[in-house]
Amino acid sequence: MKRTLISTLALIAASATAAQADGVLNIYNWGNYTSPELIEQFTRDTGIQVTITDFDSNDTALARVRQGGHGFDIVVPTHSYVQTWIQEGLLQPLDPAIVTDRNNIAPQWRDVDFDPGREYTVPWQWGTTGILVNTSVYHGDINTADIVLNPPPELDGRINVIPEMSDVMAIAIYAAGGDSVCTTDMDVLRRARDTLMAAKPHWLSIDYGTIDNYAAGDILAGIYWNGASMRARLQNADLAYGYPATGYPVWMDNAAVLADAQNPENAMIFINYILQPEHAAMLSNFARYANGITGSEEFMDEGMRNAPEIVIPAELVSAGRFSPACPQDVQEIRTQIWTELLQ
Amino acid sequence: MARPFDVRRLPGFGVVALATFVLLYLPILVLVVFSFNAGTSQSQWEGFSLQWYAAAFANQQVQDVSIRSLWLAGVAAGVATALAVPAALATTRVSRFPGQTMIYALINQPLMVPEIVTGIALLICVAWVKVNTGYTGMGYLVAAHTAFCIPFAYLPIRARLETLDPTLERAAADLYASPVQAFRYITLPLLVPGIAAGFMLGFVISLDTVVITEFVKSAGQDTLPTYMLGQLRRIITPEMNAIATLFLALSLVFVTAFFLITRKRG
Repeated sequence: MKRTLISTLALIAASATAAQADGVLNIYNWGNYTSPELIEQFTRDTGIQVTITDFDSNDTALARVRQGGHGFDIVVPTHSYVQTWIQEGLLQPLDPAIVTDRNNIAPQWRDVDFDPGREYTVPWQWGTTGILVNTSVYHGDINTADIVLNPPPELDGRINVIPEMSDVMAIAIYAAGGDSVCTTDMDVLRRARDTLMAAKPHWLSIDYGTIDNYAAGDILAGIYWNGASMRARLQNADLAYGYPATGYPVWMDNAAVLADAQNPENAMIFINYILQPEHAAMLSNFARYANGITGSEEFMDEGMRNAPEIVIPAELVSAGRFSPACPQDVQEIRTQIWTELLQ
Repeated sequence: MARPFDVRRLPGFGVVALATFVLLYLPILVLVVFSFNAGTSQSQWEGFSLQWYAAAFANQQVQDVSIRSLWLAGVAAGVATALAVPAALATTRVSRFPGQTMIYALINQPLMVPEIVTGIALLICVAWVKVNTGYTGMGYLVAAHTAFCIPFAYLPIRARLETLDPTLERAAADLYASPVQAFRYITLPLLVPGIAAGFMLGFVISLDTVVITEFVKSAGQDTLPTYMLGQLRRIITPEMNAIATLFLALSLVFVTAFFLITRKRG
């Protein structure tokens, strides 16, 4: 009896010290975006206890971290916000002694505008905004913005456009010959505006949640996100996701370590952990987006590995572009066009 | 003789009332109905199923945030009610004193100030305190929720006090009850419906709060509303409907209890 008690106490003492030594990690991320299986495995492998706290927008996350005292170690901002985070000194450079596997990042994502040389961030998930079209009605080229901006008669009045200014403006500006969404070229902007205004009468709606309408054939084409397009296609095999050859927006959420992290070492360990292909694949299998890590494909779920919404045709990869945050004056012009379009 | 004025006989009253009820309750009804959908859709009915309730109950994160929400609401509403009782006594059971209206307005301030303003103000203060003390526990959320629960607890208690006959307390005093005894044996028992109503209102309000929690929470302190808000960027499955329906049912239980308690003695 006595021996049992002593051994129990020893066991408790041992487990308490183990937990102490391994410590904790506090992740601040978008809701429902962090694979629970990955976190379980991370804790098993490293002994580090993880908490996950949700944010609902880049602005909320930025506002909270700016004030300090947040207690988070890792944050996952979208590419267009990364420069703001870096310039305000809110992130710390990744520690090359712990984060040793940045070479696992796919070459196209390794040297990105928003974080040259990947000094501060690593890819979490990325996706595209493209064209979803029902090929039982439309038989032409799917990799063109004309499906929405200059719709053929068979799609007339059955088109939906997501109410996201940055996505829609980007596709229209690229189609009008602009090379940046923040272009100040008034001719390009005017062409983009005229095209949108001329196309609008041929649209059915400017709306979000339309997966069911695509699946049922009520909506035949539109500007849509790749993740949602994949879910729609799984319900209706006639749907196809196209990448406008003139240009289409790419977004990427990136994991970074906060400058005032309480557990910077654990955070660096986690960053390097998600650079491993099998772990990155777990993120994708949960969130259903691509992850930007070379070799992760073989660990991804069957349906995702070759999904046309995730694997971009080689000749169209270069047409995908990150949309940076535009300067204030450019943003005002874009907002004017967008407001006019919604009226 | 002219009929007495009756708002129900105003032209269009029925139509407006019907439209109000439809607009208020139809979306909630749709949400509840689709929580029983067999498919993943929010708009196409694919048969009856309880699978989303099973999914919600199996989801560890949903369990964690739900328990945290209930715990927080219970503590915050409890503390708020304990503070609201003396506040209500001090603003009704005394002769009028200068600044009384001001105090009344101060107590009810959270009702008037937009939540986002309170949220940002708390964010700045709480961040400062966290940096200087290193404490990141649930205390901040409890304090914040308690603060804005106080008026919701205060108002029913005060309303109850105003309808209580003050001669009862005077009678107790005439019978040599000390002020404490008069409160303990006369006022407090009569006040119970108001206190219960105040607690339940505070509980429901705390359970619903998003903005303030979003700004005050520390690592690992998501509540059910902030968790649900975080889901919005991803595709929403009927699992969210199921969770929302369960909490709707809980709110209904509380509101019904509130109604029964206030009616019985009121």
